[in-house]
This record gives sequence, structure tokens and C-alpha cells, in this order.
Amino acid sequence: MQFPYPRKTSQPPAYQPSRASTFQRRRTLRNLAPYIAGILTLILLFVYFLRPSTPTTTRAPPGTPPVVLVTTLDAKQSEHYKANIIENRKDYASRHGYSTFFPNTTDYDLMSGVPSSWSTVPAMRHALTLYPHTPWIFYLTSTALIMNPSQPLDLKVLDPRKLESLMIVDRPVVPPDSVIKTFSHLKGERIDFILTQDKEGLAGGSLLLRNGEWAKFFLDAWYDPLYRSYNFQKAEGHALEHIVQWHGTVLSKLALVPQRVLNGYTKEVAGSEEGRYQEGDFVANFHGCARDPKRNCEMEMKPLMVRWQELRDGEGRR
Amino acid sequence: MSLDRSPSPRLSGGWSSPGLTTPHDGAANLSRGLSPSKRSNGTPRDVTWASAKAASARVNGYPSYTSQNQGFFSRHMRKVSEALPYFAHGGQEDRLREKEKLGRGRAGPAIRYLYRRTSYLGGGSKFVIILGANQGGGVMEWKGAREWAIERDSVKNKKRYANEWGYELEIVDMATKKRYAHEWRESWEKVDVIRNSMRKYPNAEWFWWLDLNTFIMEPSYSLQSHIFSNLQATTYRDINLYNPLHIQHPPNGTSGDPNAPKFANYLDPISLSATGDSDPNSINLLVPQDCGGFNLGSFFVKRSDWTDRLLDVWWDPVFYEQKHMEWEHKEQDALEYIYTNQPWVRPHVAFVPQRKINAFPHGACGDNRGVPEGGCGGLDITGKEPKGGKEKECGVQGIHYQEKERDFLVNMAGCEWGRDCWGEMYNFRELSMKLNRHLWEKFKDWWDGEDEEELKKKEEVKKKKEGKKE
Repeated sequence: MQFPYPRKTSQPPAYQPSRASTFQRRRTLRNLAPYIAGILTLILLFVYFLRPSTPTTTRAPPGTPPVVLVTTLDAKQSEHYKANIIENRKDYASRHGYSTFFPNTTDYDLMSGVPSSWSTVPAMRHALTLYPHTPWIFYLTSTALIMNPSQPLDLKVLDPRKLESLMIVDRPVVPPDSVIKTFSHLKGERIDFILTQDKEGLAGGSLLLRNGEWAKFFLDAWYDPLYRSYNFQKAEGHALEHIVQWHGTVLSKLALVPQRVLNGYTKEVAGSEEGRYQEGDFVANFHGCARDPKRNCEMEMKPLMVRWQELRDGEGRR
Repeated sequence: MSLDRSPSPRLSGGWSSPGLTTPHDGAANLSRGLSPSKRSNGTPRDVTWASAKAASARVNGYPSYTSQNQGFFSRHMRKVSEALPYFAHGGQEDRLREKEKLGRGRAGPAIRYLYRRTSYLGGGSKFVIILGANQGGGVMEWKGAREWAIERDSVKNKKRYANEWGYELEIVDMATKKRYAHEWRESWEKVDVIRNSMRKYPNAEWFWWLDLNTFIMEPSYSLQSHIFSNLQATTYRDINLYNPLHIQHPPNGTSGDPNAPKFANYLDPISLSATGDSDPNSINLLVPQDCGGFNLGSFFVKRSDWTDRLLDVWWDPVFYEQKHMEWEHKEQDALEYIYTNQPWVRPHVAFVPQRKINAFPHGACGDNRGVPEGGCGGLDITGKEPKGGKEKECGVQGIHYQEKERDFLVNMAGCEWGRDCWGEMYNFRELSMKLNRHLWEKFKDWWDGEDEEELKKKEEVKKKKEGKKE
């Protein structure tokens, strides 16, 4: 261009009002500010308290137990054995205000020709129905004993932070080489299903299930007739492993904890050393003693049963 | 691109990429573009894209401002000239009017679309229509001109409807994918498609799956007014009202064998109730039932945890292995199976009478039984005997499309087995246009009264021909 000096830009700078008028405006704003803030707060409170609220869940009636212990009893077991088991559970429950539930394996309509171990699933579903306000269901198989009843379950495993510290992450669900691994970033509050893993796979003898819509979905899906008719080798155990690996909505609510926390195996069971029950552990599980014809549950359980009774009576004397 | 360490707190963080510089830094560079000498020392921390561009502009020797396109008109000439109305072409107005009024160059429909979408005014953005297009094709099913025409009509019809009411439309390519190929999950891809749509439209609440062979006959009905504003009156949860599959409802936790010993019923009260918790807000799946069971040609799914779980368990290899020879309708039969055998599903499923969203043409599921004189008098889902009894199409057991009742949508299901898909699509399209024609056209038709008799005669001849074909 032919101008002697650099041109002004075609975008002139924005209009700057004089200092006096901005000061005036700011002062009126400052005067009015409390009134404006007050009116806004009133409007917000109005909206907050009078908006249509979603129906909250009914409050649990007083006296609701925080946990229900479920154990299915087999008709093949002797009365003496069953009485011992019942005593064992009731003792633990009474110490911490829990309830117990003892259905028989024949109470539920498993299809014909289906192993009675499948009764675990409708038993838990029944517990959800009988105790609709109880937040947790603890299923423990009738081949296990609670040896150390001193700690309540929420301190031991149910508290979300404790659960997060115990959770085993990124572990193949079915060792050694399942491609499905437990999730790494699950929050304790979102976990609805806690169990342990033994050397072969998921250990279904000791399960913690949170009561709610997910529990109903999970148990009904597990109990589907097509899983029972498929004749898995380990019945509901294999069905559980199948569901966990094929359905992400189940895996995302599952947490694995170290075996000795909930489900230590005794020395008669062929298992890994880190899952072996030791004196002071919570549960001793004589896993497989009922299925294996060479073993006898009552005989195996006798020493530990006696030990448990000793410990319990010892406390009474102190 | 992802950062493999968190950005450092220094200005521009040492990354020479525009998106990762702080805005302050970028602005500073641009405003000082004319005198970049302070910034050109080339240390790594100051090498940003903006400064590099400024440096290269200097090196090239061109002026750092453009002398062209400085004025208002030179920059906006194209936009201004396009917006001006043009009167030069004589007979073009008629042509423009006949084109689909998809909001091309018109402000009215565009504004209506926007306000119908918002959640507080119309709620349209809460609905997603998922249309499974491009079905068939390949070597197994040749797609000729007719199939393409059907697809074009169907897609245009849904697009127009979605634009009218502000809904989202997701047209999904259902070309046979390798992993769904024969004998392995074929037809279950619907489930994955719905899951993907839920991820793609995170604010939407209801997802409406539509098969390709469907046609929306009454685009003036919005989904909200037709069904969703009054779910209690338009849907029913107790399948005993109309139970073509004879499913035992409510479930009782046993296998149903009357000779078996008494078993405990372990289900909770809501699962045992015939209507769930009777709360319309807990409905998560709306399915119509045709003469043989559930029909998944047109159904609604709501976003919820329950829906996530259902979409997850819908396909399972153990189920598939045992049942796929039996399940002729694949995912439809799978859903019927899950509904029957897993009690957690029932409290959240509701059924909608078929004529509401999925009317069949004459020939699908038997013959059109017609409606009694004077019409059906509204939909009644309380279980009373419908007008005309079971022999007519009133009430929840009505299946076929009724022109007099102005049914919403036609699903030409099974038209490829023995009927004429294209013929049906064409006829329904013409019928829909005729039923929803402009007031002016209705007046013109009335005015040409003497020609109407001839039209009627032509229609009767056509109907007779169709009747002969069946």
C-alpha cells in the first residue's frame, strides 16, 4: 500500500467506557448483590425441597440382622452331624446378631437327575425372600466349620475399604490360564459377590452375596434349567465359572479374596499350601468329603469339632 | 494421542502440539506474531506450533497480514447471496414444494426440531430410533432394484419422522458380518447394536429397534403422546391377558410338574406378583406379541442396569448349543425362553398391543379379521371382552393394521415368504400419504367429487387382485 506509516488494523479495539461510568455500575451491582443472592437461594431451596422425589427404599425394620448364614443340609448326613453344624452356625450368629437359615437340599425342585449340590442356588434365593432387608447373605457349605467366631464379617471382609485391600485383582478366574481376569479397578461399594478361589477354580463352598436386584438376576441366571441340563462335571461349580467368564455384568460385581479369609481347606483336601487352614483362621472346609467315597466327613471333622468346642467352652470359663 | 506422563506444570509442557499448549501461551504467541524475535531462540521449551509458523512466515518473506478478503462483503458474499430469495426461474416453486420438506433452507421445521428435542419442552432427544438397514445382500440373498427401493422408502420414512419430532435416528448396517455368520450368533447382532447405541447416545432413555420392512403410517403421532405419557393405559404386564405362548404366569419356582412332591416356592413377592410392582417407571422392555409369541420387529428398550444385564445374558454359548436347532426365530425365541425361565426378568417387561406399534398387514399371522362397525372405541387393556370378541381385531389381541383406526406403524413381517414386499411397501406408503394429505388436497379431492367414484372402483379392483393372490 502507499501509506507512509503502518495502517491501522481493520478491527478497531473494542470500546472502553470511561472509568467513571464503570465505577457507578459496579457500585449499584454491589448494592443489589445480597438481594439477588437471597432470591436465588430461595428459588433453589424451593426447587430442591418441592421437586418430585424418587421413592426411597423402605427403611429396614429394627432387629433386622445384618447377615444371614445359609447352610443346606443333606438328607444323607447323620442327625448328629447336622446337629453339630447347626450348633456351630448358631453360635457364630448369636455372637454378632446374625440370623441362620437351614433348608434341606430336597426342599427345592431341582430337575430330575440333577445333583443335589445345585440346591445352593435356590437356597440363597429363598434367603433373599425371607430376609428382604438383610444386606448380606453368607452361604457356607455343610462340609465346613466356623473355627474362629471372634470377628464379625463386616470387619473381616465386608467393609468396603477392607474389601478393597483384600481383593485379588487381575487374576485369571479359572487358574492357571483363563483369559478372563478379575477387574483391577472395582470399588468396594459396588461389589455384590465375594468368594474365594482354590487350586482348580472358583470355590463355591463359601459365598457372600449382597441382597438386591443384582443378586436376584445372578441367582436366577445361575439356576437356569439349561445349565442344569448341560450336565457340567462339577455341577453348579462349573456353571458358576462359565457364567463369570462369559458375562461381564457378573464379573464386574465379583471380588476374589484370599482363600484363608473365608474358606481354608483342611489337610485332607488336595489343595495349595496358601489355602491351607491354620489354627486361628475363620473357616475350615473339608472340601469334597461328601463326594469322595473314600472319605468320611464325620470322621474328618471330629478333631476340629472337638477343638472348636474346647475353644468355645474355654471362653465361657474365663 | 495419549500422554505417557502427566503434563508438566511448565508453560506448554514441552510438547510441540497446539492442543496441548495452554491457551494463554498460544494467545501470547499469536499477539506477538509480528515481533517474534524474543521467542525465536529455539530452546525446546519455547518451540510451539504457533511460534514455528510465525517464524516460517517471516522466513518466506510474505507480509504477515493478508490484503485480500478484508471487507465484509468479500468475506460473506457467498453466504449472503445464498440466502437471498430467487425469483428468476418461473415454474420452479411447484418443484420445490413437491420435494420432501426436510427443512432445506426453511427456518420453521429447523426451529421445531430443536425445541422438540429439548428435555423440558419436547423430550425428543430421549428417544433413539435404531433402524436395521442393509439387510441381506451378498451371494446368499441377492439385492435387486426392489430391495433397494424398499430400503430407500423405509429409511426416508424414518428420517422424516425423526426430524419431525426431534428424535435421534441411528441407521445401522446389518450386512452379514463374519463373526455372526451362519450357525454362530447370527441374528443376535441386534443385541450388540442396541448396546452400541446406548453407548453412543448417553443421554437417551428409550431405544426403539425397527426392522427394515416397517413403515410409519401416521407421522403425526409422537411416541410420547402415543405410548409413553401414559404407560399405565397403553401397556399391560400380566401376560395372562393375551398369552399365545401359554407361559405360566406368575412363576412359582418349580418345574410345574403336577405330580412332583410339594416344593418350596423361594421367589420374592414382586416376582410372584402378576404385575410386578405395578409401577410404570419400572418398565424396561416393551414388546408386542403376535399370534405366535413375542415379536421383535419393533420394540422398546429403556436404559437401565436391568437392561444391561438382559443384553448380557441374552446370548450364552451353553443355551445356544442346546437350543439353537429348536430356536427358529433365534434371538426372539431366546428372549421368550429367558422370560419363561428366569424370574428376575418378568417384573420389568411390559407388553404393548400389537396394533399400537407393530401392526401386521393382511396375510401375516393369518387374515385381517377387520373391526366391527363403528370401530373399536379405544384401546382397553383391563381384560374385558373386546368389542366384537375374539373374531375381530379390537383389544390386546388385535394384530392386523386397521385403516379406519389409523394405526401407527405397519411391520411387513415375513413378506419375503410368499408375499410381495415391494408391493406392500408401495401400497402402504401411498395409503399413508392419502390419509395424511394436506387440507387443501382434501378439498381438491372433494371438489372433484365425480372422479371419486372412479377412484373407488379402481381400489376395489386392486383389492380383489390382492385377495386372489393370497
